[in-house]
Amino acid sequence: MEFEKYSLLELVDMLKSKKVSSEELTSYFIAQIEKKKNLNAVIEVFEDALSKAKEADIKIKNNENGKLLGIPVIIKDNILYKGKVCSCSSRFLENYVAQYNSTVVEKLLREGAVIIGRANMDEFAMGGSTENSAFGITHNALDYDRVPGGSSGGSAVAVAGGLCPVSLGTDTGGSVRQPCSYNGIVGIKPTYGRISRYGVVAFASSLEQVGPMTKTVKDNAYMLEILSGKSEFDETSSKEKVEDYLSAIKGKIQGLRIGVCKEIIESVKGMEVEKPFLEVINWLKDQGATLVDVSLPDYNLSLACYYIIAPAEATSNLGRFDGIKYSRRSEDAKNVDEIYIKSRSEGFGKEVKRRIMLGNFVLSSGYFDAYYNKAKKIQIKLKKQTEELFRKCDVVLSPTTGSVAFKLGSKNSDPVSMYKEDRFTIISNILGIPSLTLPFAKGEKDLPLGLQIMANSFKEGTIYNLADFIENNWEVK
Amino acid sequence: MKKFDLAEVKRLSSLSALRFSEEELNSFLPEFENILEMVEQIKSANTDEVELKYPECDLDDLREDKARESLSVQEVLTNSPKTRKGCFSVPQMLED
Repeated sequence: MEFEKYSLLELVDMLKSKKVSSEELTSYFIAQIEKKKNLNAVIEVFEDALSKAKEADIKIKNNENGKLLGIPVIIKDNILYKGKVCSCSSRFLENYVAQYNSTVVEKLLREGAVIIGRANMDEFAMGGSTENSAFGITHNALDYDRVPGGSSGGSAVAVAGGLCPVSLGTDTGGSVRQPCSYNGIVGIKPTYGRISRYGVVAFASSLEQVGPMTKTVKDNAYMLEILSGKSEFDETSSKEKVEDYLSAIKGKIQGLRIGVCKEIIESVKGMEVEKPFLEVINWLKDQGATLVDVSLPDYNLSLACYYIIAPAEATSNLGRFDGIKYSRRSEDAKNVDEIYIKSRSEGFGKEVKRRIMLGNFVLSSGYFDAYYNKAKKIQIKLKKQTEELFRKCDVVLSPTTGSVAFKLGSKNSDPVSMYKEDRFTIISNILGIPSLTLPFAKGEKDLPLGLQIMANSFKEGTIYNLADFIENNWEVK
Repeated sequence: MKKFDLAEVKRLSSLSALRFSEEELNSFLPEFENILEMVEQIKSANTDEVELKYPECDLDDLREDKARESLSVQEVLTNSPKTRKGCFSVPQMLED
């Protein structure tokens, strides 16, 4: 049986009704990973995956419950799973073994998931193409010569390439949504605080969230409910009640107020995605939604704000990698200063170093007010403009990216052009609002383009309802 | 616009506890200038009326400060490249 053709929800049913065992399913996907090794999406298949699947089968036999009982899952290489290496795809943490579980892993295990491996990523989640991994580049699942997107490129390719039914990524500026868009799958960056970040290696703590990556919208809604909730170890995680997101999917959108944002419409002009984007908006109107003209005056400053705030936080978060406590220490360091400098210089890749330097620049004396504080003030202004915007509409639509996945190696020499790949996704991280991508059109060479749906904080249910409606009724063309 | 020169890049590498060859340092110059050019857009925004608030998140819901089981010393030291008698080990820092 070709299990990659089934959705997560179908596989959950098949396991429950004992049409398939977890061992069969897990063996199948491990064989798929081996078969598609050239994609380099998975860094490690955990050696205990099959024994965990057998344990799940015993639980299924005993009619025990678990929303993911027996389901194989792949996690991004920056999410801690006790006893397993978590390297952030960096030489620095190559041999780092997690000593405790992240909250998301606890939640997966509590529901009976079988975590089968860890996915390749841009080193420390910094990048948009998974070309910055110390363990080699990952290839797009649909076109071997193109990037998978990033930083959660391995996680996206794992789902799109049929290596697992669901994976976890993290999204600091678009790192779940952009690779999902490039590989034609569904991914969400939830509201900031919806999912606990405890046990996820920090890059820019005030911006990032874990997000599930799936083949369908319903699969995604199912996963978000499992992963969400307050953690006592993460003060920034939210106590807001976790919805049953599947129930929020009603199959109709009458009366839904869709915001058509002036600045987004201006930004897409001339891009590959422009035509289908405008078409889908008009189609939604025909389906009973109300279109509302809205504006976010400082929208275009979000990219600049991000490349100040994110490196500033990264600089601080990566300060802990000193060659003393974690994993790597330069062998020829003779004193403590040399341990710091040599270990960091040998352990980090170029993009990580670039962002640490940039972070130190915006935080350093003389520039702090002009850059960091100014960016934080614009962020506050943008949040106020967003409050105003969501009084007028329920969701805002945007493309996820301007065009299909770009060719491997084509943007490596120009960091700014790489950074601009996130121009449509970054706004949700700056605002802390939820944002989902689903495939909705085909561009060059029939490769997928993603549509992004954003809503006010904790309105993931509204997003899933609209996304599911589009997935089931709009013809991808 | 702030112009990057070699001295500035060297200052940042020192603040970052990173060391580069001259060639690498030079390669950062045009890259940083391009990045700076992009982020300088923020200067166009008027933020005179905006006040910063710290801390940004709500800190009145902290869990009770109570001793509880934590990682063992062994677990904490597991990932350290060099340990000695239950401690992180580093080269001698003070002169004899």
